Amino acid sequence: MILTPEVLTLFILNILFAFFAIIAFVLSVKIFLQWDLNATTQRQYILEKQSFLAATIIKYIFAIKVPLFLFFIFTLDKISHVLTGAMCAAGVVDATQYGTYLLILKVINLYIFAYWLMLHRADMKDENQPYTKRKFGLFIAAFFLFMAEVIIEGIMFGAIDVDKMVSCCGSLYSSSATSYVSNIFRIDTEVLLVLFYGNFLLMGLFYLLKNRYLFALSNLSFIVSGVITLIAFFGMYIYQLPTHHCPFCFLQNDYYYVGYLIYFLLFIGTFSGIGAGLLPGSNTSRNKSYKISLLFNGLYVLLLSLYPLLFYVKNGVWL
Amino acid sequence: MIELKDVTKIYEVNKNESVRALSEINLKIKEGELVILKGSSGSGKSTILSLIAALSKPTSGEVLVDTKKISKLPDNFSSEYRRDNIGFVFQKYNLIPNLSVKENILLPLVPLNLDAQSMHQMSESVMQRFHIEHKQDVLVRNLSGGEQQRAAIARANINNPKIILADEPTANLDEKLSLHFIEMLRELKASNKTIVIATHDPLFFGLDFVDREIQVHNGSLVL
Repeated sequence: MILTPEVLTLFILNILFAFFAIIAFVLSVKIFLQWDLNATTQRQYILEKQSFLAATIIKYIFAIKVPLFLFFIFTLDKISHVLTGAMCAAGVVDATQYGTYLLILKVINLYIFAYWLMLHRADMKDENQPYTKRKFGLFIAAFFLFMAEVIIEGIMFGAIDVDKMVSCCGSLYSSSATSYVSNIFRIDTEVLLVLFYGNFLLMGLFYLLKNRYLFALSNLSFIVSGVITLIAFFGMYIYQLPTHHCPFCFLQNDYYYVGYLIYFLLFIGTFSGIGAGLLPGSNTSRNKSYKISLLFNGLYVLLLSLYPLLFYVKNGVWL
Repeated sequence: MIELKDVTKIYEVNKNESVRALSEINLKIKEGELVILKGSSGSGKSTILSLIAALSKPTSGEVLVDTKKISKLPDNFSSEYRRDNIGFVFQKYNLIPNLSVKENILLPLVPLNLDAQSMHQMSESVMQRFHIEHKQDVLVRNLSGGEQQRAAIARANINNPKIILADEPTANLDEKLSLHFIEMLRELKASNKTIVIATHDPLFFGLDFVDREIQVHNGSLVL
């Protein structure tokens, strides 16, 4: 078990969030089953009041949980200093059998929570509250994922043994590693780059065609191609080391915390892109989502591309 | 224009105690009509006004204004509805004592983001109309009851609302000032506003320009 101030902060926040989320969950089930905006009964008026309360609770939980993801990563990075063998958050993630699953779950939840917030915003903008049932239905499903995240997070921090030696990112993210991550190093660099830039160009094409579903799909695939290419190719140029591929080390001070910017750009870009396909709204708001997505994904592509380009200009060789 | 359909309002005092302020009332008020709701204290008059102003929601039933279901509006839309449609004169005027008359009158315009020139013109016009322009820079706390009421009426009219609601508007005034208020009411009626007054002041009963007087008793309308 490891208890640093950061871990304690996460524990306390998780307990608070879980308590309020349970209240919101009970209300959400009632609202989802009984909501009828046209009814003028006492029950409906009570539900309308309760929906305001439940939505406010959920809004604040999710609005804090989304940026809290960055704090979670920061915490992993910070406690890596006390684990023997760990050089960054990668070692902490690998320190227990739950780390990887928790990280994947957190990323999925990040998108779901952000989607809920956008749905809530659209609902509150319309006096007929057209998405109330949908947003509370979504919360009912998200609640289980949220609670799973809280529980696994608790178990993971509880299972970390500070006396046990863990692997460093150099061995976890290398072509010689035996984990599934090592498979990405077997893909040809050219293929990776074609997939990465091709995916981005497809996004632009689907924007011109104004096909929101394909645009959302291209953003979904960009999460995968963006992260894989970052680990397998661009990471080497960020570290200026041909053997280093860690997706966490560039979150550290040595790399000016550039990782936070990289992941922020990717999240905003892809979330807006997926949102353009899934979120209800007018053409104006969808157009805005398209543009935000293209802007942030474009900045992501540009920022990553600058690393190898500058390296080449400086050294005259590719890694 | 204003319609209350099967409206019941119950106030929960605590877990075991509740007060039934209105019992399944039905009421229609036409555009431009001036209606007096009369009845003793606690009869439900003020509750009717607060429901029309979307300050509270019914326990059951619905309130419609121009076919818009205002009792179903979320809070942020209720505020917009009040801002655009309602001028409310409260029993205790609800003016801000540390602001001047003009500043109080201008308050409803603040969310509209109008330019200073338009705001100035609107406030001048409404202050002249309700004879309070000579006190425009005086702090409200230094005004007499009658002056405060004129400031309150001016504030209620600054955004040119379609509906004027007044809750016991003469409760704190002597007879002379009450009669002066009634004269202002006549002017408002002439400008085709829909007006609903909740009062138990006998001065309002039997006025020639009043369209209807409705007795409210124990949460029901006596027709």
